[in-house]
Amino acid sequence: MSALAACGALLQRDVRAVLRSRSQLYSTILLPLMLLAILGTGVSQGLDPTLVRDGDYATFLVPGMIAMAVLFSSTFSSASYYRDRDSGLMRVMLASPHSPRVILLGKALAGVSIGGLQALAVLAVAAAIPAIDLEWQHGVIPGIALAAIGIALLALLLNGFAQVVASRIRTMQGFHLVMNLVLFPLLFFSGAFFPLEDLPAWLKVLATANPLSYGVDLLRVAIYDDGSGYFGLPLDFAVLTALAFALFAWGLQRHPGYHW
Amino acid sequence: MAVDMTATAAPPTIKPAAQVQGLSFAYGARTAPSAGSPSGASESAKRTVQALDGLTLDVPSGAVFGLLGPNGSGKSTLLSLLVGLRQPSAGEVRVLGQPPSAAIRARIGLLFQETSLDPLMTLRETLWLHGRLYGLAGHTLRTTIAQLLESVGLADRADSLVSTLSGGMKRRLELARVLLPSPQLILLDEPTTGLDPDAEAALWARLHEANQTGATIILATNKVHEADKHCQQVAFIHRGRLAAQGTPAELKAGLKRDAVWVEWPDLPPTLADEIAAWEGVGKLTWAHPTLHVTVDAASAFVPRLFQAAEDGIRAIRIRESTLEDAYFDIVGASLSDQRGAV
Repeated sequence: MSALAACGALLQRDVRAVLRSRSQLYSTILLPLMLLAILGTGVSQGLDPTLVRDGDYATFLVPGMIAMAVLFSSTFSSASYYRDRDSGLMRVMLASPHSPRVILLGKALAGVSIGGLQALAVLAVAAAIPAIDLEWQHGVIPGIALAAIGIALLALLLNGFAQVVASRIRTMQGFHLVMNLVLFPLLFFSGAFFPLEDLPAWLKVLATANPLSYGVDLLRVAIYDDGSGYFGLPLDFAVLTALAFALFAWGLQRHPGYHW
Repeated sequence: MAVDMTATAAPPTIKPAAQVQGLSFAYGARTAPSAGSPSGASESAKRTVQALDGLTLDVPSGAVFGLLGPNGSGKSTLLSLLVGLRQPSAGEVRVLGQPPSAAIRARIGLLFQETSLDPLMTLRETLWLHGRLYGLAGHTLRTTIAQLLESVGLADRADSLVSTLSGGMKRRLELARVLLPSPQLILLDEPTTGLDPDAEAALWARLHEANQTGATIILATNKVHEADKHCQQVAFIHRGRLAAQGTPAELKAGLKRDAVWVEWPDLPPTLADEIAAWEGVGKLTWAHPTLHVTVDAASAFVPRLFQAAEDGIRAIRIRESTLEDAYFDIVGASLSDQRGAV
């Protein structure tokens, strides 16, 4: 068999695999288009350094980067379901004297803890950089406490969401693509990269419907702003708490699937 | 032949470690989604595969009990139902005197057919996690882990990553994990697949130790020699049903010394009847294209067979009779028969 025929067969096999993996097919195309629309519009119309405090865009980015750390950590933590499933360890855990929910809860709490600690590490490093000028309007300790609560709620929300996705998508590649397809746009119109105040109305609507916006807003009030935030702390807490516990509980309802 | 065909081989005075009565289970599987569907929705069709079909079985306490059947006969499904990880569509399951539950699982050790280890954990971490899941902790857990690693010959690798172990070592680690919570019932699903004879012998030596300390062992296998050598009782499972149950000696009681497997697609029925009447010939079973028969002496039988067959025989296999021959005699199919596999 010639090398050309072998390459052709491999090409055909991989193309078939992508066509069968619809999540990979669509998200690869949709994600760049969504970023083009959302990020492009945001930067063109919303990003003016004079709109952020003292024109200090680096400091402005800190709350968004903390949210991003939680987001990535949740995605990676939930990917461990696939590792455990593929290694066979998941079936060993499911055969232990515990219900599947206990196993899921343990793994989800691990994801929340890891995500929370990583986000706090980002905050600690950012706070230690001299060029970063955090406001700490409520004081450093209360500000850290407030940020920690926001991070915990975000981690619960995102880990719950990731668990729901992981229970429905068969492959780890598909899982990552779906997470990217959903979470990157959420991140970009959450106010993490540009202030929400001066965005066009349609992006403001999307930002208001975006749970991540409330997390970023809460973090911004805790460490960056000297005001009450875009939504206000009570609304931030209400939305984040309700969604975090609802999604986390939903995630625990999803059976990881038993493979013998 | 002293074979109990009614699945009540356990003496009434011995409490069964596991009992199943009229057990049925069907898998509802989905076909793979078709490529390029414009709707984005997977086109799937449901099909049902009957894995167990009214199985009734008693496993006596303290026994090493074999479930012998070809791949897809329902052995692994039965194990998953005993552990309570699947629910039967009909019938009743009792394990250690109770219906399967999380509490019962604390008293069961389970060795899966395929390796079930996280390659990025060390051996000690692997056992520690398992011990914690089974309620062990502190000094007791640490000591038990050290003792088990020593007993399976892996003490010097305690802090190595699982990914650095050979296949045989991984199996030994999994055996240590099964034994860690001192289970009263050990379920083994094809435990020696891929092991060399030395590793297989070492694994069984450790399992017999556990059996001597009171653990009941249920072995699901399609390896005849393994069931014959290690099991006090064997159940033949065929297409989700119990075909026979007894000790290996009871199951083999009707067999002659030599087994002859003949590939003979066009065997005339009248000739089959004639062969069955030959002196020194035991039960003759015909399952197209295979003629199976046990005989007193293959050296006398085979030349006569060729003479009678002229050129109809395509292949012939001769060996000492084993449980596989008893299986073929009773079930009418080979252990390698995978028709109806799930």
